[in-house]
Amino acid sequence: MDREAEFRGLYQAHRVAVHAYFTGRTGDRDAAADLMQDVFLRVWQHLDQLADMPGDGQRAWIFTVARNLSVDAHRHRHTQAGTEQALAREPVRREQPASATLIAAERVAVVGQAIRGLPEQQRVTLTMAAASGLTSGEIADRLGVPAGTVRYRLSLARRSLAEALLRYDGPTEGQ
Amino acid sequence: MSLDDDLAAWAATVRLRDSEAAAIFEQIVATPVPVTALRLHPSWWRDYTAAFTARMIASTRPARRAA
Repeated sequence: MDREAEFRGLYQAHRVAVHAYFTGRTGDRDAAADLMQDVFLRVWQHLDQLADMPGDGQRAWIFTVARNLSVDAHRHRHTQAGTEQALAREPVRREQPASATLIAAERVAVVGQAIRGLPEQQRVTLTMAAASGLTSGEIADRLGVPAGTVRYRLSLARRSLAEALLRYDGPTEGQ
Repeated sequence: MSLDDDLAAWAATVRLRDSEAAAIFEQIVATPVPVTALRLHPSWWRDYTAAFTARMIASTRPARRAA
């Protein structure tokens, strides 16, 4: 197999999960895309080394690089953290909706805001589950934690999200 | 609308589009691979040394005189 085809296989197999992981870590899909590109650039540069590994080893290698990069990015963004937290707490304004599309968009914004407000571990786990479609076991494998921990984090995150949506729905549905 | 529907709707807004993923792929494969990543296999030096030594020993043998 030529070098590009080999890389394409790894890229297709892991890009969605890696992007979901970074989206969970950063709360920003574009920043996540940049970090994902950094990870796969390293894959491209070390492809000979990865080609000799079994699938499990390749996956572990990719997610170790991803975790290291996200730690570096987290340090870099440290000074912005206060502002981001303030933004996450800012309530969503409820304008008079003009159409069903607007209502749906507003609801998505509420979900996004609730997710950004979650503790990081819950946010990463929930984002990986929702955006990449991985099972609890697959997420656990990539994060290096037990599957039970992933299920627990998902349960807490979903509960917080349900409460946020209930608060959002409350005033109109309760009348 | 269920919680899973809400999550799916949100996930659709953050997920990378295929066109974006393809553009990133093209950018990466256009990046030159550093020379260090194209290093020789570790066994190369062993094989080379063995072959070189054999040639050196052979070259020190006295040449046979022509009859």
